Amino acid sequence: MIRALALALVAAASPAAAHQLKVFAFVEEGSVIVEAKFSSGRAPKFGKVRVFDASGDQIETLELGEDGKLTFPLDPAHAESGLTIEVESGDGHDDYWILTPEDIARGEEAG
Amino acid sequence: MRSLALMLALIATPAMAQDRPAVAVVSYPLAYFAERLGGGAVDVLFPVPDGIDPAFWRPGISDIAAMQSADLIALNGAGFARWTTKASLPRSRLVDTSAGFSDAFIATEKVTHSHGAGGEHSHTGAATNTWLDFDQAAAQAAALASAMTRRIPETAEGMEGRLAGLTADLAGLDTAAEAAGAALAGRTIIVTHPRYQYFARAYGLDIQSLDWAAGDMPSAAQWADLEARLKDDARVVLIWEAEPPEEATARARELGVSSVVFPPLANRPGGGGDFLGAMKNALQDLADAST
Repeated sequence: MIRALALALVAAASPAAAHQLKVFAFVEEGSVIVEAKFSSGRAPKFGKVRVFDASGDQIETLELGEDGKLTFPLDPAHAESGLTIEVESGDGHDDYWILTPEDIARGEEAG
Repeated sequence: MRSLALMLALIATPAMAQDRPAVAVVSYPLAYFAERLGGGAVDVLFPVPDGIDPAFWRPGISDIAAMQSADLIALNGAGFARWTTKASLPRSRLVDTSAGFSDAFIATEKVTHSHGAGGEHSHTGAATNTWLDFDQAAAQAAALASAMTRRIPETAEGMEGRLAGLTADLAGLDTAAEAAGAALAGRTIIVTHPRYQYFARAYGLDIQSLDWAAGDMPSAAQWADLEARLKDDARVVLIWEAEPPEEATARARELGVSSVVFPPLANRPGGGGDFLGAMKNALQDLADAST
């Protein structure tokens, strides 16, 4: 419910945008879950996901699934410092989401 | 005994500072309003570095963490500061200071790119520098005052007076802007970047916008574009959003154009001073350009 609401809010944040990419990430049961979609509601066909630590160093490069989603395990070390998730859809669109240590702790508690 | 008291005072200060309520803001005008409305009782958190446009700033994780722990987070609205949609911000502590006049936002359209089967397309939005209509700025200050009173009870005492003082100062800017607008009536006004839509609407100016980078020497193509717009008009005023290189103002002078630097102040004034002083100076320079 919270996740659906958050995605709806993110999508609604730029009401006039034609089809900008929107990225949302959250933590659940020890995993980081990334969801990307265009503001039209369509999932990107391709998406490169870059994960950065609190120092701005890139720590992983992954790929979105065809449904615009990706799940990867949360490294406990990063739970204390936070993560920035960048998604590039390959057709000129990109977006990011910032997960603070508080966001991660809330996700862990909820899980 | 005196040294013990001094030591206790030193120990107490950081803890007391940490206990002060915090208001996080997304722009310099809101930082200035929050500082005045807070009356010294709040810490104002505006972490955007000098020289960076807060509308396009990308915060770090620690910046967002600090924002999340603030007692109040003041947004400009109108789509200003895209980063506010890139992190979880506590809704109960958010105030959108322009929500009260969202029906007066000015729509913008900009073709950005072309790809895929859809061909060229545009991404649209609203003009973001709402505070350049000083009536709207006063409405934003009032919305912020109301939210601060509600969320931070320590600020309630004296808030009415502080808001009245700020509103009066903004009314003074409004009067000065109206005078500048009247003095420039009929003149061709060209701005180096599309940031002055609300200013133009509020003060009756017909403004043409270029898309020049702040502080840079324009390219040959950009000068050619400007020349084409000048035609035979010898009374053109060119508004720069930031101090241009000397050779740029010299080139504008050769073209018979009067140059005025009018920073929209989304970030702190580059030359020091504050919102009120910097705006007064810019409006005076604008009025002087009409003579």
